[in-house]
Amino acid sequence: MDIVVLVKQVPNTTEVRIDPKTGNLIREGVESIINPEDRHALEAALQIRDNTGGKVTVLSMGPPQAIDGICEALAMGADRGILLSDRIFAGADTWATSTTLGRAIRKIEQFDLVLAGRQAVDGDTAQIGPQVAEYLGIPQLTYVQKLEVREGAVIAERALEDGCEHIEAPTPVLVTVLSSLNEPRYPTVAGLIDSTRPRAPIEIWNGADLGVKAYEVGLAGSLTQVVKTFTPKGARNTQYLEGSPAAVAAQLIDALRKKEIRLGE
Amino acid sequence: MANLLCDERDVKFVLYEQLNIEELCESEKYSEFSRETFDMVLDAAVKLAEKEIWPTNADGDQKGVILEQGAVKVPESFHNAYRLYCEGGWSLLAVPPDMGGQGFPSVLNCAAVELFSAANQAFMMYPGLTIGAARLIEKYGTEDQLREYMDRMYSGEWAGTMCLTEPQAGSDVGALRTKAVKNPDGTYKISGGKIFISAGDHDLTENIVHMVLARVEGAPPGTRGISIFIVPKKRVENGELVDNDVICAATEKKLGIHASATCALNFGEKDNCIGYLLGAENEGMRIMFNMMNEARLAVGIQGLAQASAAYMHALRYAKERVQGPEIHALKDPTAPKVPIIYHPDVRRMLMWMKCVTEGIRALIYYAGYCEDRIHAAKSEEEAAKYQGFLDILIPICKSWSSDMGFRVTELAIQVHGGYGYCREYPVEQFMRDSKICSIYEGTNGIQALDLVGRKLAVKQGALFKSIVAETGNLLKNASKNYRLKDIVEPFAQARSQLVEVTRYFGLKSITEDFMIPVLYASPYLELFGDLAVGFMLLWQAVIADRRLEEIYNDAKADTPEKKAEVLRTNRSAAFYRGKVASAQFFSNTFLSLSKGKARAIMSGERSAIDLPEESFALF
Repeated sequence: MDIVVLVKQVPNTTEVRIDPKTGNLIREGVESIINPEDRHALEAALQIRDNTGGKVTVLSMGPPQAIDGICEALAMGADRGILLSDRIFAGADTWATSTTLGRAIRKIEQFDLVLAGRQAVDGDTAQIGPQVAEYLGIPQLTYVQKLEVREGAVIAERALEDGCEHIEAPTPVLVTVLSSLNEPRYPTVAGLIDSTRPRAPIEIWNGADLGVKAYEVGLAGSLTQVVKTFTPKGARNTQYLEGSPAAVAAQLIDALRKKEIRLGE
Repeated sequence: MANLLCDERDVKFVLYEQLNIEELCESEKYSEFSRETFDMVLDAAVKLAEKEIWPTNADGDQKGVILEQGAVKVPESFHNAYRLYCEGGWSLLAVPPDMGGQGFPSVLNCAAVELFSAANQAFMMYPGLTIGAARLIEKYGTEDQLREYMDRMYSGEWAGTMCLTEPQAGSDVGALRTKAVKNPDGTYKISGGKIFISAGDHDLTENIVHMVLARVEGAPPGTRGISIFIVPKKRVENGELVDNDVICAATEKKLGIHASATCALNFGEKDNCIGYLLGAENEGMRIMFNMMNEARLAVGIQGLAQASAAYMHALRYAKERVQGPEIHALKDPTAPKVPIIYHPDVRRMLMWMKCVTEGIRALIYYAGYCEDRIHAAKSEEEAAKYQGFLDILIPICKSWSSDMGFRVTELAIQVHGGYGYCREYPVEQFMRDSKICSIYEGTNGIQALDLVGRKLAVKQGALFKSIVAETGNLLKNASKNYRLKDIVEPFAQARSQLVEVTRYFGLKSITEDFMIPVLYASPYLELFGDLAVGFMLLWQAVIADRRLEEIYNDAKADTPEKKAEVLRTNRSAAFYRGKVASAQFFSNTFLSLSKGKARAIMSGERSAIDLPEESFALF
């Protein structure tokens, strides 16, 4: 089974701080990591390949330094890495990103399964997977916590708010996964050396390679524009209730009712 | 949140800005590598250390090892960590490629091992000793021995140990009695008992290969009659593993590293223990000494690692723990309470821990770097120069690092107050685990004698002179920078004190008073270590000061206020400022004591040896 895994380089959010003056993220000195859920997608792909054969291609879009994530994926065991990097891709929203990734997957041609993390920790949109599936015109299975592969089909267990559902879908299919799916393996030292060698199986594709026009991708191809980012001011209005426990309880219930907060049946 | 095992920024500063290890990649030996590879390996090491090895640390401490029917079980959590460690190829990091390893420079290995040891020192004993034993076989083994043992040990499939100590033969290894009798087929029958064997038995691997020092029948007494044998726990017969009559009789109950099995091993109780000679008969000590530098550096790394983890934990605690108001508002009961890092005495302790930890790190990595420069040298002269540095610095790396590293862990408890004394926080474990470093692999007293009795004497003091010359070059360079004046002066003074004491030792050693250098070998090593670490920190300060000035200039920060603003908002600037401060603090609190320390040594005070034994106390 040939598998394409979508991987995003994201800032290590546990290290990100906010400049109290400007409200902007302080990115200086913050390392980039593979988006945590994408690692689980990669692990799933590697396990499937190890069991059934085939090839795992890691696909990422980002600035040249995003190649680090691809190297790490190769060191974990991926067979091929492709980085989509071009100035015209910059500033893309999820629509433009999905378009670009979709074009790249079409160019790869041979694939049975596209795997991705549910969402990235920096944007939290969870839109890329579904939009890429739409672009490619293939079925999509999201929020997958168990995955099984059969001849020409996959069977997935999707996590829902109130339970889970089992779905079978024919390949080619796109699956976005949750971190409960598996435990990602670590890169090996030998793998890290191989992945940073000049002969490492990494390709960098630009806009011309994909045959896209500048207005289709990047900021120009985006349907949404960011107007402003800011940290919401959390103004708290603390009210102290005093008296006997019964009196405090009564006051509390009144206060909640006043705010039209339902207290249940 | 950065990891709590080591300051990654400082690690990278030493590797790339101070030692500039990328230059090593220009040599053919390391041409495969690049900064990119180094970075990726370090990042991967951090992840493995933090996520997989660190969680086994407290568990191992609490559970320890279990000895049942002559077999030792390690804590269950170690099995998964060991598997990941071996599968990842971490034991092979600095093993040469022609032996199946990755061939990374030693200096990078130092950084990785620091991380893993900080995560769990007891755990690292198992792969650490295996590599040490495998290296011996690599260097002295026959082709059959390489194939049979070394490959399996490097991959972690089999483990290894070093069996030197016996009840009557500890520091006095020449007194050992384990016997080897030659069999007609060229193998030897081994009998005897060894104690304090780290990783002596366990269930991480199906076989353990012991490197055993023993005396062949009829060999001369003392160290000259010692041979070294490969004695596997299970020997291979007709392609199958059979029991080789090696029994674990006991495991020690220890202060620290509870999960490292410290075993008493009995060889040949049933007269069925076979050993295979490594190298030639009576060459055991020479062979073992070959591995001394590496093993002692490894213990130095352990001292560093525990200090590093202790400092990071203490720092975090000091930033989080709120207690009392700031000192100038002490009498105002309504003043807001502050984290204890605001209190001067806590700051002083943290500063002490910071500069000592950073100094040890630089010194240890530098030793690793010297090893790499020997391998990458373009001429024999260059190789000899770095070999000389390494030889004289090894006892200091081992002792200063373990002694001062221990004190860092002790201060970490102090910073934590009562909580630090409790098991709820990991710092008390750091201290207990760290203590062994000043004892094993040659006690620090032995290291001091090695420095004074052996290393100073090499080629009429040539090693000492070369290292003093090296410090002179730095001094010259640093003296040009007026901003470093406060650091340079105590350093220059400490340097002359060390030279003076060394001369004094030289004179004493050729007179009847030769006991003085022996008696004061340890204080001398401390003085030497102060200077060596001061050298590293001054070197770093020269670089950091330059970088900091560049950042100030770029930000057009020409007033104290603007500089303070840069330090608040620019993490690199804050880091470099911290580096300069480490050197300054060290100069003024350690190096400024050199004069007193030198005077104490040169007082020739002999009470300790002259006093009759009976006068120490009445029993």
